[in-house]
Amino acid sequence: MTEATARSRSAIAAHPVTSAAITILVVADIFLALYVPLYSRLTPKWGDFPFFYWYLLIVMPVTSLLLWLAALLQKRLAGPGTAVPGVTGPGSTGPGSTGPVGTGPASEAGSEGVQ
Amino acid sequence: MSNVNAITFTIVLILFVVVTGVGFAAARWRRTENMLHLDEWGLGGRGFGTFITWFLLGGDLYTAYTFIAVPALVFGSGSIGFYAVAYTILVYPIIFIFLPRLWSVSRVHGYVTPADFIRGRYGSRGLALAAAFTGILALMPYIALQLVGIQAVLTVMGVGASSTNTFVKDLPLFVAFLVLAIFTYVSGLRAPAMIAFIKDTLIYLFVIVAVFYIPTRLGGWDHIFGVAQAHFAAISPATKKPLGTFVPVAKSIGSTRLDFASLALGSAVALFLYPHAITGTLAAKRRSAVQRNMIYLPLYSVLLALIALFGYMAVADPVTAANVKKSGNAQLAVPYLFQHMFPSWFTGIAFAGIIIGALVPAAIMSIAAANLFTKNIFVEFFKQDASPALETRMSRWVSLVVKLGALLFAVELPHTFSINLQLLGGVWILQLAPMLIGGLFTRWFHRWALLTGWLAGMVFGTLAAYNVSSATASHWAGSSDIEFGHTVYIGLSAVILNLVITVVLTLVLRAARVPQGPDETLPHEYTADPDQKPAPAPAAVGAPLEN
Repeated sequence: MTEATARSRSAIAAHPVTSAAITILVVADIFLALYVPLYSRLTPKWGDFPFFYWYLLIVMPVTSLLLWLAALLQKRLAGPGTAVPGVTGPGSTGPGSTGPVGTGPASEAGSEGVQ
Repeated sequence: MSNVNAITFTIVLILFVVVTGVGFAAARWRRTENMLHLDEWGLGGRGFGTFITWFLLGGDLYTAYTFIAVPALVFGSGSIGFYAVAYTILVYPIIFIFLPRLWSVSRVHGYVTPADFIRGRYGSRGLALAAAFTGILALMPYIALQLVGIQAVLTVMGVGASSTNTFVKDLPLFVAFLVLAIFTYVSGLRAPAMIAFIKDTLIYLFVIVAVFYIPTRLGGWDHIFGVAQAHFAAISPATKKPLGTFVPVAKSIGSTRLDFASLALGSAVALFLYPHAITGTLAAKRRSAVQRNMIYLPLYSVLLALIALFGYMAVADPVTAANVKKSGNAQLAVPYLFQHMFPSWFTGIAFAGIIIGALVPAAIMSIAAANLFTKNIFVEFFKQDASPALETRMSRWVSLVVKLGALLFAVELPHTFSINLQLLGGVWILQLAPMLIGGLFTRWFHRWALLTGWLAGMVFGTLAAYNVSSATASHWAGSSDIEFGHTVYIGLSAVILNLVITVVLTLVLRAARVPQGPDETLPHEYTADPDQKPAPAPAAVGAPLEN
């Protein structure tokens, strides 16, 4: 437990900017939908749609985009042969390969090159 | 009411027969040697990739609640109904934080239900029982709601509605549900996974057509929004307050921005605590399939937002508004709108879409509830040496019993009551957040503190919801309550109470050095992606534990 935690902390320490960026992307996405005063108004209109209604429709593809970026960054955060971590918190970035055989999916080969 | 449109009826019937055939054929899909295993019947062999998982989760999460209840709320109260839109946006960044971890640890240990994880993580059968009980409890009214959705469509179609005899009146509903029960029994999770393809095709088709076609009949979006805005600003003679809001407001006139945000947040956190959502997730083959779905699933949210707008279309169409008013049931808004706007044959396609759209989640929910009962109550407390074949047979039968229970809910209780019980389901399931989401990140919480916090949240939430009254109902009238002068979702206030108690008691119990219980999981298992390795047999989890 302690060893794994220490190693994962070092993984975050090794990529502080990436970790922070993932956190910001996820938090920003939550804020965009949760902070209602941001969009509970009628103007500016887009076509016939009051602001409240088109804003919510626009935030959906934005969510996809932000989470796609966050997932890309997570692949960078995970070292070679490591599974993609779930989140940036302590203990989340696993300590290296986990399964006994071939854990690194082929799709991660590219992300190793990024590092 | 009694004249059934022959064309509409025929099309609904044909599509229903097709779906039934697919449901039975699904038993042969991706068939393996040993079908009598809970991983096969209950999780479709844990072999679904990104594409099928997308359809399965979409079919699982967007239910009759989406097609019938959300537009009904928009029709009745205006912008507050759009909390459901904000909620389906919020849910994805929130599950991005914890869902891949749940998938990984469940895959490594062969967990089938969320309660399996609770048991393994905290070494506590009592806590796992609490989780299983909450899951089954919260699912029952949710399944019943699917039936209410089917009933709404059948009522507008005029099927059986002319009879005063309860049995004859609900006969079509019984038939639909019997068919659902049998193909779920035979095919397990494979059936809803396969039918989800048909469901989504029909839904996307009728929603897109409706969004482009209906406004042309109603004088354009500008007119629809204009009528809605004027309608909700009008003062209700009964309450002396506006009928609703067109955008969430700061001051309280029945609903506020805080109410809107708390309903959205509470629902978003609750969604992936529901056992059926977790079942859909655990059926995925790879961790990346779960992650990719968080990126692709918001496409369904667009659909939900458009469906919510049907509520305004129903307000703007005088004929539909009059029909709904006459029936006194806002849930008929969307079926009446389609019936008035579309030619009979297309109404048939749309109605079939809604009926099938209710059957798919009902199937997955009954499978999830059956798995919970079998794994965490029957095997855990009554038959620890049960073979996988016995587990599967047990789950099959329980899935029938669960559906029968839900059928009684739907037929016996008034519909408004059932809707509010679904909201109560959210209040209940949220009480699992500290042990389930918390447990995915930390072992700091003490198991007894979690159990006490859960109990406090359940009792407070149930009582608070019971005491909500309105002009038409003395109890269970809503899901929001006034806390410290602000209207908020009861589920959220109850889970905050739950969390505070859990934290305080954990500090006390840790200081008193009360045993923490064994933890069978390891930190790296939460990020594991055992792609090549077959999932271990669930029997491996069943070792006896001291509590």
